[in-house]
Amino acid sequence: MLLVFPLVALLSVAASTAPSGPQKSFDTVVREAESARKTDRLTEAIGLYREAVRLHPSWNQGWWWLGNLFYEQDRFPEAQTSFAHFAAITPKPGPAWAFMGLCDYEMRDYAHSMDHFQRWVDGGFPGSSDLLDVASFHWALLLTRQGRFGKALYLLAGRAARKGESPVLVEAMGLASMRMTNLPEDYPPERREQVWLAGKAAFYASQHNFDRASEYSQRLLAEYGSLPNVHYFLGTLDKFHSRPAEAEKEFRRELEISPRHAAAMLELAQIDLDRGNSAEAESLARRAVQLEPMNPDTHHILGRALLDARHARESAQELESAERLAPEDAAIHFHLATAYRGLGRKQDAARENSAYIAIRKRDGTLVQATGEPEAQHSGKEQQ
Amino acid sequence: MIAIVASALLALTSSFTLQVSAAQPRSAPRASDAGSFEQLAVAATQAREQNRDDAAIHMYRQALKLKPDWDEGLWYLGTLLYEKDDDREACEALRHFVALDSKAGYGWALLGMSEFQVREYPRALDHLQQSLVIGLGDNRKMAVKVYYLTAILLVRSEQFDDGMSLLFSLAASGDTTPPLVEPLGLAALRMPFLPAEIPADRREMVRMAGAAAVALKAQRYAEAERLFSELEAAYPDQPGVHFLIGAYSLGAHPDDGIKEMRREIEISPSHVPARIRLAEEYLKRQDMDRAFSFAQEALKLAPDDPLAHLVLGETLVAKGDIAGGILQLETARDHSPEAVRIRWDLVRAYTAAGRGQEASREKSEIERLSNQNAVH
Repeated sequence: MLLVFPLVALLSVAASTAPSGPQKSFDTVVREAESARKTDRLTEAIGLYREAVRLHPSWNQGWWWLGNLFYEQDRFPEAQTSFAHFAAITPKPGPAWAFMGLCDYEMRDYAHSMDHFQRWVDGGFPGSSDLLDVASFHWALLLTRQGRFGKALYLLAGRAARKGESPVLVEAMGLASMRMTNLPEDYPPERREQVWLAGKAAFYASQHNFDRASEYSQRLLAEYGSLPNVHYFLGTLDKFHSRPAEAEKEFRRELEISPRHAAAMLELAQIDLDRGNSAEAESLARRAVQLEPMNPDTHHILGRALLDARHARESAQELESAERLAPEDAAIHFHLATAYRGLGRKQDAARENSAYIAIRKRDGTLVQATGEPEAQHSGKEQQ
Repeated sequence: MIAIVASALLALTSSFTLQVSAAQPRSAPRASDAGSFEQLAVAATQAREQNRDDAAIHMYRQALKLKPDWDEGLWYLGTLLYEKDDDREACEALRHFVALDSKAGYGWALLGMSEFQVREYPRALDHLQQSLVIGLGDNRKMAVKVYYLTAILLVRSEQFDDGMSLLFSLAASGDTTPPLVEPLGLAALRMPFLPAEIPADRREMVRMAGAAAVALKAQRYAEAERLFSELEAAYPDQPGVHFLIGAYSLGAHPDDGIKEMRREIEISPSHVPARIRLAEEYLKRQDMDRAFSFAQEALKLAPDDPLAHLVLGETLVAKGDIAGGILQLETARDHSPEAVRIRWDLVRAYTAAGRGQEASREKSEIERLSNQNAVH
């Protein structure tokens, strides 16, 4: 990257100081390129934009359109290179980060894909609604692959609300619901039915069509009820359906099948917190932390349990651990601010509160841009 | 579209093998090209013709570095990589190839086949369908594979009826190279899986359903009924079984068919096709209230399903609500403009409503669709 800027600057100067002939040639090429692009002569447009950026490498619009045209043709390596040029010479590349994330995904470079999606998210999800849709879907797939199932399902539920049912969405929701750290392209074929049934149930639950969700979840239970994660998933459906007693039964059943299921422990801990039973919540959360010390949710729930038990200092320590592991989680900042206030650390509390508001505002941009139901957002911090 | 490509398949002859040269790309290297490119291109061709695949791949890649848009090089690189099971790299070369020549049906086909191998199923389905629309020339071997993959991917994406039509077309073409019983069983039971994804404890059920479908298509009704009885006895509570049996029984033993469909709805409460079949059957019996009830339920469950709109439209017209029926039929037509049955319903409904001009327009459309199907 360091080498790109001086070269670009040099070539840019060369272009701007060139005689009028070449400059006119550049303008002509640009005009022809845009005409070709607008009339769907894509291959011709690619050749012309290539020529234009060869003549004037700092013309960022040329790289932008070149990236778009390559992407349209599924030529991901070339699209990636073009968007990288664009990003290198553009102060706020905005949607280019999303395109780079998508290209990386298609080239199976998942680490860079996550990195580029994160930059796109940090920038407030810029781009058209179509880009937002495609990029947030792929981001959700990668979150699932990383084991961040809740966040992935949240994003996928947004797509469900916007676009309705589709086989790819059902499959993605199924993978996240079954807590499988796989992509649609790489999970074992023998698990297809399980993923499909869970995906259908999750999709209809996200539409608040609980009868239909139940039809699929009952089939899932009948065929795969003895396998890990099925009862946990049924518990989350019950919880979403505001049936806490049924949810609790399912989470406990999951722990019988999977005694080390930290997520089920955390769900039960939250039920205990709702009932004011912070001692039991703390016990469950401590076990979860022991099992999954790198999982921010375990520290978060333990922090909340300790906060409930008025152990503000220890609570703050756990919430700080959670924050280090998941700095983008608004709810952690919210609870950490509460803990700091309890300790009289007003400045720290104010900082955490600001972080909470900033993340919510950014997520609100996503909500606004995608038309996601605000109801799915609200109340998260209270949980 | 499915009907068009299905009839195209049936028209294929069986007298040839894979012949890439029948549809070769345009830009062979010329003497005036840069020496190093030409040398590489010639060497790559020789290596390929001598079956030195690795060397050919290497030289095609070198040549393409010098001339990235060399379509012949991209095509042969793609085919060589596909044959070596390097499907990911094949996809990359073939995507570039079809970008340069979007009318190359065989290019889209090989791309879709490569994408199938790397399990990019939605993209594979799109590209295989694209190849069928464009056509595959006289390459029967490739056509059979493309039809088969398209059919099983349609089933996986819950387009069961389209998938089944293609599978029956394949069976009718006489080519049974890809085994069709399991895919037909999946389509018949409306299970959105590839054959490789069938749950082990229900593979036999799928095979029985597929065998029954084959027997029915071949008009071996006694065999089909025997298989249905065995299927029902072995899997009485599995989703899809009673619908399949009911779909047959509605024709042969309508009262039994109604029972089977109702049983399916007990097992699969949101089963839309079962409701549509029941509405049709009650419509046939002039039991308008029941027909209306099932048609309405179907539409509520699947507001975008053209068949649900169609059957509700037919019911409303039969009940005397011509205007309401026309609205439903028009919605069905907008969802499924190539369905002739909807057009005929509209002709009758418009005529009954005194809207002769619109009835004539629908008749013209029917004629156009009939001609189109005849051409294909």
